[in-house]
Amino acid sequence: MTTHHRQRLAAALETCRPVPPNKPNILKTLLVVQSALGHVPTNAIPQIAQVLGVTDAQVAGVLSYYTDLRIQSPGRHLIRVCMGESCTANHGGRILRAIQDHVRVVVGHTSPEGRFTVETMSCAGNCAVSPTVMIDEDLRGRVTPSDVPPLLETYN
Amino acid sequence: MKTTRLYLSNDTSSLAAGAGRLADAWSGRPEIQLIRTSSRGAFFLEPMVERDTPKGREAWFNVVPDDLPRIVGGVGGTPVTGIPFLQQQSRFTFANFGITEPLAFDEYQTRGGLKGLAAAQSLSPEAIVEELRISRLRGRGGAAFPVWKKWQVAQQTRAEQKYVVANADEGDAGTYCDRMIMEGDPFRLIEGMMICARAIGATRGYIYCRYEYPAAARAMRFAIQKAREADLLDCDDDQFELEVVVGAGSYVCGEETALLESLEGRRGVVLAKPPYPAESGLYGKPTIVSNVLTFSTIPNILAHGGAWHATLGTEGSRGTIALQIGGRVKQPGLVEVPFGLTLHDVLDRFGGGMAPGSRFKAVQVGGPLGSLFPTSQLDIPICYDAFAEAGAILGHGGIVVYDHETNMVELARHFMAFTADESCGKCTPCRVGSVRGREILERIQSGQGTSEDLMLLSDLGETMKTASLCALGGRAPYPVETAIEHFGDEFRQGPRFVKPA
Repeated sequence: MTTHHRQRLAAALETCRPVPPNKPNILKTLLVVQSALGHVPTNAIPQIAQVLGVTDAQVAGVLSYYTDLRIQSPGRHLIRVCMGESCTANHGGRILRAIQDHVRVVVGHTSPEGRFTVETMSCAGNCAVSPTVMIDEDLRGRVTPSDVPPLLETYN
Repeated sequence: MKTTRLYLSNDTSSLAAGAGRLADAWSGRPEIQLIRTSSRGAFFLEPMVERDTPKGREAWFNVVPDDLPRIVGGVGGTPVTGIPFLQQQSRFTFANFGITEPLAFDEYQTRGGLKGLAAAQSLSPEAIVEELRISRLRGRGGAAFPVWKKWQVAQQTRAEQKYVVANADEGDAGTYCDRMIMEGDPFRLIEGMMICARAIGATRGYIYCRYEYPAAARAMRFAIQKAREADLLDCDDDQFELEVVVGAGSYVCGEETALLESLEGRRGVVLAKPPYPAESGLYGKPTIVSNVLTFSTIPNILAHGGAWHATLGTEGSRGTIALQIGGRVKQPGLVEVPFGLTLHDVLDRFGGGMAPGSRFKAVQVGGPLGSLFPTSQLDIPICYDAFAEAGAILGHGGIVVYDHETNMVELARHFMAFTADESCGKCTPCRVGSVRGREILERIQSGQGTSEDLMLLSDLGETMKTASLCALGGRAPYPVETAIEHFGDEFRQGPRFVKPA
């Protein structure tokens, strides 16, 4: 962690310090840390545990359990291709292939210049206009493989 | 210049279909005033734009920015009452959709909102539960447990603190009605939760919203703020404290005990029941956990009476069901109808047939744990009893249609892989069984499968069904087994299968 990161972590953790009778909330704290730093660095676990008054193992357990908690920051843009049933039925797999081909990384990885991270998601709740691709917070529906290159061009 | 008022949905799926691009293209146009509403749920027509006429609203479908002059000129619109997809529905919980601005509290009230809460306030807590007993409402999240029984237990359990929790962890792929409610009619959910709070004596509530629904969480937070300002959250001499809590991507957190674990900030793993949350839930206190749709159904029940609700639907399934049609159909969207229509009717009347170039292969009802139905089984009535008898589930009302290009072995592998990914790890049948199940299906997919593999899969399925702690492991075998049952030939490919003589 850089000094800058350490300061942001400390500031974020201050807002999560449990005040009795409130009990410490590990998940909420990790989400706060993630929103401050972009991810939850594993070397921050002892400090988080200490502020919350819980064990390192409890923090590590929660951190490893939830898909949306990250131990590494994604690329500048996070592409999530929906693999829910409606998207699967509408051949979302083809969209995933088109994206992997275009960005030249496989699912779970970040392109070398750090521009895109490609992931899948299990359902975006956008089933009626599937197949769905979520880029950062933008949801796109009825995506076809030929939409992929121009769509990704708009994210730098 | 005369300004024409136009209505455009702000629902996430409408935006994904292009509504946002229309709003951007038309911003600053002096001839129109754009009102951002919820969506009617006829997503195949989105982006859809409406305007007022003396005979009610008229709509333009699949609109592109250049259509504006036609719309302003009133050329080529269709009366909303002339859209069969909408006209054949019975909208009660979804009555406001497409009509109101989601965060306009006065509009919610003008259209009958808060009547349920007012009725509840004139009743004793016991009488509210009695009204729900008469209504015969069952939970809409998937388990279909009678709502009044849960409420009665929480009401009768003595505790200094009780909680009301809305389960907005809508994880079943193929479902989106909870998202629509939170984005499109958030005060209805708040009203339902307030009625529950009064019935059981709770002073705190949480809406546990999945991470994938940022717009829903935002809308709920705005709505709670507005409700607080309008003194809607006053209960007797106390304030009902209501908060939105966002999860972090875990399917199992839709199970109530796992949801409460997650709400307390821990790993969202399933706990053995009893004790049930209604007796000992959040922080060990009596807690009602119900689905967003369940809470949102309740204001109408209190406003019109439990007996009214009990007149809708079938013997064991009273009221309406929100079906969410998706997959390879012409007309995907939200359908609210009384229980009892057959699956065939629903697909025919609302689905509108297959998407161009597609032929029907199977339909899955009830999300990733739901059974697959081939053409020969579409006459099943949509109600809890008929589905239970068929070993199937209605779940949260998701209906996904697969076409002739679907590879059933790959689909079955996809289902098992989903369970393996999402298993919370608490019980062995689900944790280990789902991984072994996925491996067997991968072996079959690679052409190395044998008849023993199918028997092994069947044995494994029995173990998972009988011994899993929750519905994830307990239901995971069903989509796989129904795929094998109806499309067995696809699984019996490869040199190691002994061909029947």
